[in-house]
Amino acid sequence: MTEADKDRARAGVGTSTSPSATGAGRAAASAAVAGLAGEPAALVLVFGSVRYHLPDLLAGVRDVVGEVPLAGATSSGHFHNGEVTPPGRGVAVLALAAGPYRFGVGSVAGLRDDPHGAGRALARAAKRAAGADLGPHAAMVVLSDGLVGRQQDLLAGIYKVAGAAVPVVGGAAGDDRLIRSTSVFHDDLVLTGGAVGIWISSPWPLPVTVGHGWQPVGVPLLVTEVDGPVVHEIDGRPAAEVVREMSRPGGYAHDERRGWRPGWMRRAGKCTAHAFGLIEPDGSRLIRGFFRGRDGLVRTLVPLPTYAPIQIMSCEPDDMLEVVRPVVAGATAGRDPSAVLAFSCVARLDLLGERSGEEAALVHGAAGGATTFGFYTYGEFARTTSIAGYHNAALAALAL
Amino acid sequence: MPHDDLSRATAAARDAYRDTTRLIRLLSVLGEPADPEELVERTVAVLSEVFFTEIVAVAHHAGGRMLAIASCGLAEDDPAIRDGWPAGPPAVETLAAGELVTRAGCLDGEVPAFAVPLGIRSAAWVPLSTEPGTENLLILLRRSPAAFTHSEQHMLRSVAARLQLAVEERERAIVLEQLARYGHLLARHLELEPLLDEAVEMLRQLTSADQAWVVTLDGGQGVLRAHRGLSEADVAGWPRLAGTVDTWRPAAMAVPAEAGGTVLRVPVLRDGALVAVLFTARARRRPFAPGAAELTAIFANHLAVAMVNAELYDTLQQRATEDPLTGLANRVLVGQHLDRALAGDATARVGLLFCDLDRFKAVNDLLGHEAGDELLQQVARRLRGSVRPADLLARFGGDEFVIVLHAVRDLSEVAEVGRRVSRALDARFRLRGERVRVSASIGGVLGVPGQTTASAMLRDADAAMYVAKERGLGQVEVFDEVASHQALDRLDLRSELSHALDRGELEVHYQPIEELDTGQVVAFEALLRWHHPRHGAVPPEVFVPLAEDTGAVVPIGTWVLDQACRQLAGWRSEPGGASLAISVNLAAAQLRQTAAAQQILGVIDAAGLDPADVWLEVTEHSFLSQEVSEAAEVLSAAGVHFALDDFGTAYSSLSYLQRFPIELLKIDLSFVGGMTRRERDRDIVRAILAIAESLELAAVGEGVETEQQRAALLAMGCRLGQGHLLSPPIPAAAAARYLRASVAARPVPAG
Repeated sequence: MTEADKDRARAGVGTSTSPSATGAGRAAASAAVAGLAGEPAALVLVFGSVRYHLPDLLAGVRDVVGEVPLAGATSSGHFHNGEVTPPGRGVAVLALAAGPYRFGVGSVAGLRDDPHGAGRALARAAKRAAGADLGPHAAMVVLSDGLVGRQQDLLAGIYKVAGAAVPVVGGAAGDDRLIRSTSVFHDDLVLTGGAVGIWISSPWPLPVTVGHGWQPVGVPLLVTEVDGPVVHEIDGRPAAEVVREMSRPGGYAHDERRGWRPGWMRRAGKCTAHAFGLIEPDGSRLIRGFFRGRDGLVRTLVPLPTYAPIQIMSCEPDDMLEVVRPVVAGATAGRDPSAVLAFSCVARLDLLGERSGEEAALVHGAAGGATTFGFYTYGEFARTTSIAGYHNAALAALAL
Repeated sequence: MPHDDLSRATAAARDAYRDTTRLIRLLSVLGEPADPEELVERTVAVLSEVFFTEIVAVAHHAGGRMLAIASCGLAEDDPAIRDGWPAGPPAVETLAAGELVTRAGCLDGEVPAFAVPLGIRSAAWVPLSTEPGTENLLILLRRSPAAFTHSEQHMLRSVAARLQLAVEERERAIVLEQLARYGHLLARHLELEPLLDEAVEMLRQLTSADQAWVVTLDGGQGVLRAHRGLSEADVAGWPRLAGTVDTWRPAAMAVPAEAGGTVLRVPVLRDGALVAVLFTARARRRPFAPGAAELTAIFANHLAVAMVNAELYDTLQQRATEDPLTGLANRVLVGQHLDRALAGDATARVGLLFCDLDRFKAVNDLLGHEAGDELLQQVARRLRGSVRPADLLARFGGDEFVIVLHAVRDLSEVAEVGRRVSRALDARFRLRGERVRVSASIGGVLGVPGQTTASAMLRDADAAMYVAKERGLGQVEVFDEVASHQALDRLDLRSELSHALDRGELEVHYQPIEELDTGQVVAFEALLRWHHPRHGAVPPEVFVPLAEDTGAVVPIGTWVLDQACRQLAGWRSEPGGASLAISVNLAAAQLRQTAAAQQILGVIDAAGLDPADVWLEVTEHSFLSQEVSEAAEVLSAAGVHFALDDFGTAYSSLSYLQRFPIELLKIDLSFVGGMTRRERDRDIVRAILAIAESLELAAVGEGVETEQQRAALLAMGCRLGQGHLLSPPIPAAAAARYLRASVAARPVPAG
């Protein structure tokens, strides 16, 4: 190990698309461990397709890595070192040597019933697992069941325990867009309705960054009637009508960068190119995807708060890709990291369509030679300022 | 519209919407149902979100430090949460001015140390209340360099005020709800110690206090009776002078760093007099809400009522061994006392004198009951003067007095004391302006420990007294062992009782138990009558103890149960008979038999009754033994009901009530008889009814003889009664007629 290496956590990554769960697990883990060049692994991250029998998949990984703390999630595709594994194909494993960091992995169930309590328990469990005499700084990576609501409450629970000084990054597990069942992994356990967390203790600050690139295409609006996932009214008018007007071909919308221009609507992959932008206190916008059901009602995946100020947002591939470099650069913060963890929304994968490979390539390019590793999520965690930090259609990153 | 204008307009609209949303989010969190702690926690979380703020805290100022009441953004193990932090210049300025203070830019030395690593660049300190002397602050610390705008400041002021109100309101509502739900439960404690202990715990919870204690005041002394959260050192040094009680503080509160502790003092008044003081203290950081004093005062009222109940209960227990009219010992204490004496030193002799006033009934008839009572009190005073302090003087009942003499040499000494007692009554009594002459017939016996029993001595002394009475007024007669036997032979009831059943001398009479307001007969109590061929009707008070003594009570008791059950089965077809129950007295000896429960259930079954049709009346003495309790459990499980007879005359112990499957209390006729004349008896009836209610037992007033008694019982909530006013015990045929008549007389409900 060189002097410079002492400050870096060595990382190795491996993937497999083998149809055998155990075989795929073993193969990906073996490649990952090989990348450590003989250093012992201190943490193993696993992102895998729900095509596999998950306990067998983990057993395959553990056959290779042994008792090393393991965390992971089912995904809707994943990416590493600029390459994309599309949804439904395979498994990716990252092995990290400790380097200057200390890792602690903990998990909780009961996310559906008491997400705040689960968040508190998760932070405590992960921190406890990291041991005593921790470094002056910390961050948490959180992976949660992607099909339970109230992910923000999970973050609030973590915030209650860890406080403002510990940023949180991560993602909600996917299931190859099937929307049936998602899971997280902790050692050899497959948890549904739960979450797994990694407490990372560090000698230096570990900034978490996030960006989405979506642009507002209209004036601010107020959501005036919401019933769970259904948005009934915006600005006192039927939501469907407002959404239709804003996104009508030939209709006019205001683009902050270009002034008035014709509204447009575009279909790429399976998502619309329009979304709600929830206006944050600092003027930024959290993306909340919406869709119109057969009943004509406007629905969101994450319920909007009543009287939320919103703007209709839209995006083009260029917009989305524009944010990648700043997100990764913000995370590395001038350091020379050995690994960059990134969490990208499955909607970005879909919206980018045939250009979907570009995002992974840009992440890797911006990481300056570090191993890059990530998965396509059903929602991203990036708690940086205040208690809030649950995003959609965004890219979040952390560099180690 | 030019592009810039439009952008500005859009930004303005966005800001306006953002502010609206903030307000709505905050107002809704303040309006959601939550307990005060949760409410503050949720509000700081929403503040963090809507103001994009890393750290939000509500903190209390005490002793130069800020102590967190709630926080968002501080790690849970941050020492600042436990120990607080020094109040910096902005906090001090805010508290002094009672006005919001903001800072932006470089905040070195301005923000708490824990916030420094976060790079806080903008902060606000908001007083929770504009009232002078407020010590609670809302603090927001954010990394964003943007200063809090006017509109943000305005919003924070309103939120702080609402937060304070909401916290106060919630605390109040919770305490009120708890008071309504639990305050009355205090009354279920009938003994003072557990009552005060629960009161202290309840008070601590109601006021979310760290410490609570209660001091009772009596004779210028304050006694610490129960406490929570006090240290060993705090508990030492009691009792102390009543005058110093108010200013006493637990040691923990004297530590300067925690001088913010507050104590709430709540007087407990009874008839306007201070009987106890409740204290509740928050050792630090949280002052009591303004309404707390008022609420704790309500709590103190609950406690005062419960303390009155406990005192009544105490009286009741005393009453169990004390004659309320004369203050002398009663029959129960005599039994206990004799038992103890006879279990003692075998060389000592125990003397017993049984005194019955002559012509007392004449005085009663002539001058009335009250004069009679007064005479008994005067007699008691004279007798007390004629016995040694170590001897026990008791009123045995009616106009009978008993004296237990300790360490007597022989029978002649007993006779001598008897004569002295008789002489003490020689002088006339002054009664209602009349001079009345009263004498006593006195019988005496001598008992040897280990050779005789209390009941045998009482029986023999009673027999000797009868012999004395037969010889004329004011005579003294003592029995030796031979004389005792002769006396018994003369009466011979003991042996004849065992044949009474075979000879058909026994009969069951029935006394109705009725609803006092409607007159509906709910049950008949089966009562045994003995018609002796020579002595005529032998009173139950005479033959029942004999039957218990000889064991004849077991076959006789079974016979009564069988008769009564068959009789009830016969009445089933009568109008009003369908839901009728039968109440039968059960001696402890009956329950001590092997397979007692099975045998009793067999009798009930043979009569064609359901076990639930039968009430078995037991006295407190009967459930002292384990086997009895077990038999009772079996019977109770089968559906048989248990009633406790003569309640209030013996131990009146709640533990028995809880141990034994009692469902009904029968209030002894001595209390019912006295309740329209004596406040004390009325209080006792009230206490018994309170016990019945708190244990969810039914109650029957026994010995209802006058309309006033019936009305008084009803007014106190006693629904059921029996007694001569309604009907004396009557033969079965008459009881059937009574039942029919009562049904006919009852109005048919309309509709």
